[in-house]
Amino acid sequence: MENTIIRMSNISKSYEMGGETFFALRNVSLSIRQNDYVAITGPSGSGKSTLMNILGCLDAPSSGHYELAGRSVNQLSEVELAGLRNQSVGFIFQSFNLLPRATALENVMQPLVFRFISLKERKRRATEALDRVGLGDKLGHLPNQLSGGQRQRVATARALVTEPEILLGDEPTGNLDSQTTCEIMGLFDQIHAEGQTVVLITHEAEITHHCHRTIRIKDGLIDADTRTQDCA
Amino acid sequence: MDLLMLIRGRKTVHKSKPIVSVSMPRNIQAILEGLRAAIQSIRAHGMRSMLTTLGIIIGVAAVIAVVAIMQGLSQSITQQLDDLGSDMITISAYISPEQALLGGRGDNKISYDDFLVLKSRVSGLEDMTARFIPQSFGSASFGRQTTQTLIIGSDSSYQNVVRIYPDIGRFLSESDDLRRRRVAFLGPSLLKKLNMPQNSVGEFISLSGEWFRVIGIAESLGSLFGIDQDNYIITPFSTIRSLAGDQATRNIDILFRPATDRSLSEIKAQITQILRKRHGLSQGELDDFEFTSAEKTKEQFNSITQSITLVAGGVVGISLLVGGIGVMNIMLVSVTERTREIGIVKALGATPNFIMIQFLIEALVLSLFGGVAGIFIGYGVAAFIALLLPNLSEVLVPIWAIFLALGFTTVIGVVFGLVPAMKASRLNPIDALRYE
Repeated sequence: MENTIIRMSNISKSYEMGGETFFALRNVSLSIRQNDYVAITGPSGSGKSTLMNILGCLDAPSSGHYELAGRSVNQLSEVELAGLRNQSVGFIFQSFNLLPRATALENVMQPLVFRFISLKERKRRATEALDRVGLGDKLGHLPNQLSGGQRQRVATARALVTEPEILLGDEPTGNLDSQTTCEIMGLFDQIHAEGQTVVLITHEAEITHHCHRTIRIKDGLIDADTRTQDCA
Repeated sequence: MDLLMLIRGRKTVHKSKPIVSVSMPRNIQAILEGLRAAIQSIRAHGMRSMLTTLGIIIGVAAVIAVVAIMQGLSQSITQQLDDLGSDMITISAYISPEQALLGGRGDNKISYDDFLVLKSRVSGLEDMTARFIPQSFGSASFGRQTTQTLIIGSDSSYQNVVRIYPDIGRFLSESDDLRRRRVAFLGPSLLKKLNMPQNSVGEFISLSGEWFRVIGIAESLGSLFGIDQDNYIITPFSTIRSLAGDQATRNIDILFRPATDRSLSEIKAQITQILRKRHGLSQGELDDFEFTSAEKTKEQFNSITQSITLVAGGVVGISLLVGGIGVMNIMLVSVTERTREIGIVKALGATPNFIMIQFLIEALVLSLFGGVAGIFIGYGVAAFIALLLPNLSEVLVPIWAIFLALGFTTVIGVVFGLVPAMKASRLNPIDALRYE
């Protein structure tokens, strides 16, 4: 039996805006199994970013129940959320979000800092992760000495180094040309093939073709949930 | 506490993946990581960090320099007073404030006879001498040159008590006093003031129209607080008294130096008893004379320099406060500038406490570095000033000043680093990540 990594039931997120309550997400229920390869798509303002923030424990839902890796997330304190992000979530951002003054190696080591493991062990794991994304020869490079594709590879290595339950990509190819997009998607395919659960947020149809399951969000609701390929 | 919660939380999540970790307490590790991150960030912004600490450096350097110079000055004053002979005691007439208001000079309270009796009867003295300073004498001339000087009438014991020794020629002898010889022993600065030849022994100078033969020139004592200590003429007591006319009744001072192994209080008691009896003072009446010593002067000067040090140090200390505000300013800018970075590390799992510790340590490292650099620079400045001031042989940085400076900069780092650190730690990661 496959494990369920993400279990969301009746998740809502609302904001108070000028006295009116605005719902970004309404009663979303969703579960993602281990080693699934999911694309979440939808137009701007559909609530997919909010969904990603909640999935990545950057934000807490207003109501509903969210369980990540067997642990209930709502009502967690800020400190506990930070711990969960460090432990279970690997983030990849559209604009890479690398620390500009740190080398590729230091960037990848960064999440391990919050685990208080020894410097030597951090270096070993980070080097391993960079090798895995094919940047074993660029350890000492600063982000601005790397191409867009290479930066996204560093970001991917940083997301993987903590061995998270899910890899969460927020439009990971949004800032890349089609050639590099192809390369990065190839990398994600490979990572998925190695057993990683991958969730990508995107509005590019091409990317959804790589994934095994596509979830469409519209007006804060799940519009469609189609599986194109069975889990490996 | 928050960190401990984080660890507990993590343990439950993390069932399958063991964490390789060292056995240090988590809080200490968080501080060490914060320190590492802070130093990295300081080095990344080298120029800005330097400018931030400049305010602290200048503040601390100024405080240390002021304290060092004042302490050095105080030390050198003490030394000069020691050279003057801290054991020398002066007995002079005591004029109460009431008498002084009435214009009384308390004439003839201490007489030459008092001196003679004391000298013959008080035991335990190394030596004792009488000093008479006439008011009508004060100008000395040689050739066409005239200058104001201090004219002292005394005897051969004066050089033992005051410790003034001849450089050229000789001091007054007993027979000079007995025969009322018109001879003069000069302080060395008079040679220059009166345009006299280097070896003036045998020359004649005029004191208010009376001719005196020069018998010797004293060794130089230098100056104390800028006051020339070499501008005086010593003549025999009897000579100057006979020339003083109606001034002869003026009070004299009696100077003595106790023998090294004798108790001063015992000597003072003997003198007090003799003088009270001679002056016919009844039991309730106050002494009409008083003792003064260089020791007392030394204490007074020390307390004065101490207060000046504190006041000047305090005034300069205000610049430290300004430096602290500078640190806060730059740290606040730094937080704004690094909003996105803070968002990133928060997304990667940094707790608010971790962020706060990092920024706090950054402020602390900056101000402590400024403090240490300031101490060295301040000492350098003080040492340089000491080279320019002839009276200041050395500068002293007392240990309390160093601890005070470091303590103060630590407080500044914490107090002024706290606001930016709190601001950074409270940033919402979603907003911070969106910040451009």
